[in-house]
Amino acid sequence: MGVCGAVIRGVGLRVGAVLLLAGIWWAVAAAHVWPEVFVPSPGSVWDQLFLTSSVRDGQRGYSGHLLHEHLLASLRRIGLGSLYGVAGGIALGLVIGLVPTVRALLGPLVTFVRTLPPLAYFSLLIIWFGIDETPKVTLLFVAALPPVAVATAEAVRGVHEDYLHAARSLGARRWQLPFQIVLPSALPEVITGIRVAVGVAYTTVVAAETVNGVPGIGGMIRDAQRYNQTDVVILGLLVIGASGLLIDALLQLTARLLVPWRGKA
Amino acid sequence: MRSPDEPLAVRLSGVSLVYGSRGRFPRRGGNPVEALRDIDATVGIGEFVTIVGPSGCGKSTLLRLVAGFAFPTGGQVAVSGVPVTGPGPDRGVVFQQPRLFPWLSVRRNVEFGPRMAGMPAVRRRERAAELLELVGLSDSAGRRPYELSGGMQQRAAIARALAPDPAILLMDEPFAALDALTRERLQEEIRGIWQTTGKTVLFVTHSVDEAVYLGTRILVLSRRPGRLVLDQASDLPLASDPHTHPAFTSVRETIAAAVRRSASDEEVT
Ligand SMILES: Nc1ncnc2c1ncn2[C@@H]1O[C@H](COP(=O)(O)OP(=O)(O)O)[C@@H](O)[C@H]1O
Ligand SMILES: [Mg+2]
Repeated sequence: MGVCGAVIRGVGLRVGAVLLLAGIWWAVAAAHVWPEVFVPSPGSVWDQLFLTSSVRDGQRGYSGHLLHEHLLASLRRIGLGSLYGVAGGIALGLVIGLVPTVRALLGPLVTFVRTLPPLAYFSLLIIWFGIDETPKVTLLFVAALPPVAVATAEAVRGVHEDYLHAARSLGARRWQLPFQIVLPSALPEVITGIRVAVGVAYTTVVAAETVNGVPGIGGMIRDAQRYNQTDVVILGLLVIGASGLLIDALLQLTARLLVPWRGKA
Repeated sequence: MRSPDEPLAVRLSGVSLVYGSRGRFPRRGGNPVEALRDIDATVGIGEFVTIVGPSGCGKSTLLRLVAGFAFPTGGQVAVSGVPVTGPGPDRGVVFQQPRLFPWLSVRRNVEFGPRMAGMPAVRRRERAAELLELVGLSDSAGRRPYELSGGMQQRAAIARALAPDPAILLMDEPFAALDALTRERLQEEIRGIWQTTGKTVLFVTHSVDEAVYLGTRILVLSRRPGRLVLDQASDLPLASDPHTHPAFTSVRETIAAAVRRSASDEEVT
């Protein structure tokens, strides 16, 4: 029982909720309340899953790419953008948290960037970097960095001074504290920041792919919207959403393995 | 009687500390707080000195000065004859909360000091095993701190503080947060550790019983601003069982009276 039972119940609840929603969707589509172009049936979305994943008459999937190629292209952008964002965010957060002068200088800037909708600066990035991968990955990087930086900076400032004192009395030098004490004790909050950052990268990727986004789930959705292929649009949404859930679950698992003391110490 | 040139572990000469007086200890919108006033005291090598006094009288502050976490606004603190300029591995610190590093196993917590000193991994491990044995935690070496009971955590904290082989052990109400039975056991154990290792110990407590049970010298501080009101030598901790020693009651009465007097004193301004 215990953990195992809780996991089974959790999974069961989730599967149940998905089935329920699918059932409602199916019923609404079958009743033809709205035309097919607004609410395609689950069946036609299901068919699109196979059509976009196969080669027919020399045509690869959708817009010249198979579904998984679209997904991988998006995941690659999310992965790179998040990676740079997390690395930059931890470094920036550490410095902001540790050095009051830097906090005064950069703190407001980070908050400013965080409140900007990513699309607002996407145009600028396109002017600077063209329309290939660079502006897309940069967009995700800029979007993913602030949540990590803010979480890290807060956690760094929240480290109890006794830990720093204990380390110094055990012979740690001042310069050893950031990596020996500050970062490890901030890790739980940093990981929460990383989850938020990957989430932000996910919500931003479709926007990043509205410009020259094929291959990419965003580009696929964009093309399908042009031709009123609502079933492909919905397929794209489901695919990006499902992969997002999976990755968040992986991150949560990593967090449990990496910071087993979260909430206990 | 101690001769004047006998080496000392700690010497406090006219030590005063006023929080918020120099901007070093910024106090939000308050007046400066005078925590310690003109303390003169010495701790000889190998002594177990307990510091007792009412809550808020500056006991922790005094210990922090010796640890090098803070600096006096007047007077001087010297350890082993040298003025304190900051924390160092010559002074091990045990706090009221164990403050073990939760990202490290118990063993790696104990190894932290030796690792900072650059001790090779194999010797570090031996050292940790030795100390965990001393505090009776050999079986918990691989566990994480949060998996241990409060008493075991505090034992691990003591082992960690001893690992760099400090000359002085500074303890700030280390047993105050434990239940009575665990507290008694740990008092007995720290007395044993002091006897086997011969360390100099500076031990803060608000319990008169604890101060008398453990201290070869008992310092009583007055209420804020903390001044030294009694410096009482005792050889009770050397007895096989201090609690049942005939002198226990009389020493305790002396200390308790001093604490009572100091607590009811009018604040001198
Ligand atoms: N950082 C600080 N800033 C201002 N006042 C402080 C600070 N630390 C302690 N004090 C005050 O100094 C006095 C002595 O504190 P402390 O040494 O912690 O007392 P004790 O350990 O004997 O209870 C208390 O009145 C406390 O409120
Ligand atoms: Mg205190």
